Amino acid sequence: MKLTSTLALWILTLGCVKAQQPVAPPVESLLAVKPATDGKVWGALVYATNDIKGLTGSTEVAPTDFADIPGRLGKVFPFQRFEILGQHLQDVFREYESWVVPTKDLFLKVDSKGPADGGGMNLHLQFWRDQQVLVKTDAVLKEGSPLFIGGPKWREGQLLFVLVLQKSR
Amino acid sequence: MKTPSEDHDLIRFLDGEMSDAERARFEARMAADPMLKSEVIIMQRMSADLRTHLPAEMPVPYADFFNSQIQVRITQEEPVTLPATRSSWLDWLRIPTLITAAAAVAIGGFMILQKQNQPANNSVVHSIYVPNPAVQARSFHSDEAQATVLILDGVEAMPADRKIVGFHIERTESDQEVATTTLFGESGQILAVVAKDARNQPRLLSANPRG
Repeated sequence: MKLTSTLALWILTLGCVKAQQPVAPPVESLLAVKPATDGKVWGALVYATNDIKGLTGSTEVAPTDFADIPGRLGKVFPFQRFEILGQHLQDVFREYESWVVPTKDLFLKVDSKGPADGGGMNLHLQFWRDQQVLVKTDAVLKEGSPLFIGGPKWREGQLLFVLVLQKSR
Repeated sequence: MKTPSEDHDLIRFLDGEMSDAERARFEARMAADPMLKSEVIIMQRMSADLRTHLPAEMPVPYADFFNSQIQVRITQEEPVTLPATRSSWLDWLRIPTLITAAAAVAIGGFMILQKQNQPANNSVVHSIYVPNPAVQARSFHSDEAQATVLILDGVEAMPADRKIVGFHIERTESDQEVATTTLFGESGQILAVVAKDARNQPRLLSANPRG
């Protein structure tokens, strides 16, 4: 485990120093025991805008399970275009913090507080922008009921964070 | 370690709630038990110090949030057994999490408590804490979108020339020994590592920025 992290840090360090090697090589997992989890969440950072020309050109597409998310965002936020900039499917660890990092710029810390009555998960969430926490919240996340966080304005639109509890399989 | 009843006697003694007979019995116990006597002295000193340095009455800021957090703590952590009779303010000193919560509340910031009567299948935001007082937060449920929404008003805009670096994270590995989380992409390549600095704030080291 420690070897994987150390290796990752070395690769990142080399990657930063040697800009001509932008793609890090695949690394085999050395984890022997997977930590206990309480579920899985999908997080995405979405750029909402009415300026078609201002889209970033991101090719990210929501997984089939969450394909309706852009349409649902349109029922809350006054924009016509919802472009996924990054996405992250993450296990929610039972005993450790979990990070949902769809982008380098805005990301979420997730702490499980255990199963919720009637299904779903009790979570403590921290929404971070670089080294600054924007908001902390205690929430219950239910399957099929996403949490939309209206974040900072950017360019002609707004950055939105989406968190969805993946259905139990 | 004392039994709960002994513990409670100590508190009642310190609070001056004992009858003459009870007090005499307790003083006899103290005389026979140096450890008990030592604890009484320590508690009396602590009590005197607190009374000296703190005002007699201090309003709890954001009392609703404070109370809700206590309820959350009580349900989440192991049960705290309280004596059946009236509790003393010293009881609260014995619950470190409550002290921490009180201190956190006293430090300030902007907090609101959300009470929502939501159908059982809806996600719910119970509480919100925003460290930056310039930021206003509110949450609501959108029936149309079937989603819970948390709006942050007043957040400083992201600079327009800033390039948002997007990831497609397929899996992660966490190493608790060195407090890092390694983020892997679709092809198994390392995209970033989340570490923490000395102030317990996240540091994100990115390998392959794009977007």
